[in-house]
Amino acid sequence: MAKVFVIVEHRQGVMRDATFELISLARELQSRSGLEPAAVVIGHGVRTFADTLSKYLPRTIVVESETLADFRYETYAAVLKDILERETPLVTLCPQSAFGMELLPRLSVESARPCATDCIKVEMEGAGLSVVRSIYNGKIHSRSTFAPSGGYLVTVRSGSYAPAAEAGSAGTIDDCPCPPFKAPFKTEFLGYREAAAGAVDISQSPFLVSIGRGIKDAENVPKAQELADRLGAVLACSRPVVDKKWLGKERQVGTSGRTVKPKVYIALGISGAFQHLAGIKGSGVFIAVNRDAKAPIFSAADYGVVEDMFKIIDALKEQIGS
Amino acid sequence: MEILVCVKKVPDTADAEVVLKQDGTGIKEDDLASGINEWDNYAVEEAIRIKETHGGTVTVATIGSADSEDVLRRCLAMGADNAIMIDDASFKGADPYGIARGLCGVAGKGSYDLVLAGAQAGDDGYAMVGPVLAGYLGWPHATLVTSILLEGKTVTVTRELEGGLEEMLRIELPAVLTIQTGINEPRYVSIMGIRKVRAKEIPVLDPAAIGLAPGEIGANANRIKRTGLAVPPAGKEAEMIKGTPAEIARKILDIVKERGGVA
Ligand SMILES: Cc1cc2nc3c(=O)[nH]c(=O)nc-3n(C[C@H](O)[C@H](O)[C@H](O)COP(=O)(O)OP(=O)(O)OC[C@H]3O[C@@H](n4cnc5c(N)ncnc54)[C@H](O)[C@@H]3O)c2cc1C
Ligand SMILES: Nc1ncnc2c1ncn2[C@@H]1O[C@H](COP(=O)(O)O)[C@@H](O)[C@H]1O
Repeated sequence: MAKVFVIVEHRQGVMRDATFELISLARELQSRSGLEPAAVVIGHGVRTFADTLSKYLPRTIVVESETLADFRYETYAAVLKDILERETPLVTLCPQSAFGMELLPRLSVESARPCATDCIKVEMEGAGLSVVRSIYNGKIHSRSTFAPSGGYLVTVRSGSYAPAAEAGSAGTIDDCPCPPFKAPFKTEFLGYREAAAGAVDISQSPFLVSIGRGIKDAENVPKAQELADRLGAVLACSRPVVDKKWLGKERQVGTSGRTVKPKVYIALGISGAFQHLAGIKGSGVFIAVNRDAKAPIFSAADYGVVEDMFKIIDALKEQIGS
Repeated sequence: MEILVCVKKVPDTADAEVVLKQDGTGIKEDDLASGINEWDNYAVEEAIRIKETHGGTVTVATIGSADSEDVLRRCLAMGADNAIMIDDASFKGADPYGIARGLCGVAGKGSYDLVLAGAQAGDDGYAMVGPVLAGYLGWPHATLVTSILLEGKTVTVTRELEGGLEEMLRIELPAVLTIQTGINEPRYVSIMGIRKVRAKEIPVLDPAAIGLAPGEIGANANRIKRTGLAVPPAGKEAEMIKGTPAEIARKILDIVKERGGVA
């Protein structure tokens, strides 16, 4: 029977949430199309992950080796290529994350299997695989199939599938040997670097006013700061505002910034990229102001305003008084 | 250091209406502003900074139509030494594998120590071309790079991970690195600067000139087959607040008070 594999993402001793979203997708492919799901976890000290994973899927494949202690695409791609060639899964899933983006396109070349990245929907269509990707800033969905292949690789956007719950039955765990590596390696892992703590901790504030590229210019930032002050809110932002050094990294909301859960989140001039929205999951009231009625942020917000953000900033200040 | 930077011209769709072509094969780009892919702008800046510190040359290359020439000229004005255009007629509709094949041909014609690409393109955003190109070249790669330190025959880079965390890697040259936004502050390009490079010759290469066989690239050779584009189905939508800015502001304050209890 055809198989679907989930490549487990873990870092610093913790399995990352995205893996459990992919378990949901693998189960969906099982119930709809009869694919046999399994988790593939490789690394050092990952046996405890396998115990957990066996509560979610009928089968877990483990490759345990000291050489795999820190993720490098070189070693991981070699191990996975070996597994793909022995097990020939029809579909192999991985999160679209710093891990998946580094690994899967390269694994695709090494294992001669086509890969589609950043998919929001994955389903079987006859004997082939069909995926949906969200492109052009979320304004268009594109559907693709693949040139026929013995196996397909897919990375999946976070938040596309709900995280799975435990299955209630115990799955099997297959320990696999680590294949010999073709040393010397061309990449070497040197260590992690934590973000420096900033002057504010936006994750502690119940009320965030957040600005995006719509703020347009550094000299407009004080207008937003002033609004936040008068509202008793803390100023946050999307990534481009930090990239341009208009605000410090500690104020960035999103996958590569901070995850926040305020009671109120007001987004001004932010389009609603998934990397941004992933940072505000589970927030209270979410109000979005954007002059583009088609901005994807309006499918995530509770309340929407299609208007020039500066007009709204001024009107809010006027209403509050000084 | 000989550095090749891969750049792409993309339409700006964040702040514009996106309309599908009648036949559903693409979007209407005529009314959209377009320019260098945001990530590629950072990559070009980074290459020029490396050159300024360590010497060498920077070559920018694009697979695109004549319409992409302005993007290459902009890169020359920033300080790139050479530009190469690969005529895209036979690349029409090529998937990231086809683009990477073409760029592999370009890289093979030089003797580069480093190839830089954007971490992803802002239009269809595969985030694949860099690492696939590295695979074709048989070179090591790192994606989402946020700093580059050159040390002899290696580079030490940081890669962006999630939640503000970064990892440090040492990589042997030659290598392919994909650049994440924010790695530097790209310099400003003046109209004067672009005028100065107006006369610079930009060679246009066809697929044969970069060693590609007919049929090796293009829609028929694709491994990812696009079957259709559509406007996303309406999902959950926000409740829209309408009125004059003053009315909207009053309603926002009411919501903040009632639902959030914070103002
Ligand atoms: C690996 C990776 C990690 C990332 N991590 C993050 C992250 O942690 N956080 C993050 O935010 N992004 C992140 N990004 C970037 C993300 O993909 C988007 O590029 C980014 O979120 C866009 O920011 P934006 O919405 O402010 O800008 P844009 O997408 O350019 O949108 C600007 C919006 O402002 C609107 N606008 C313009 N002017 C006005 C006006 N006067 N009034 C009202 N509206 C106006 C426009 O209509 C548009 O919708 C990441 C990307 C990658 C590849
Ligand atoms: N047509 C192209 N010509 C030159 N470089 C490209 C082209 N398409 C993509 N690239 C490079 O590959 C990067 C990633 O693109 P993608 O994999 O499509 O997201 C871009 O940022 C560019 O550096």
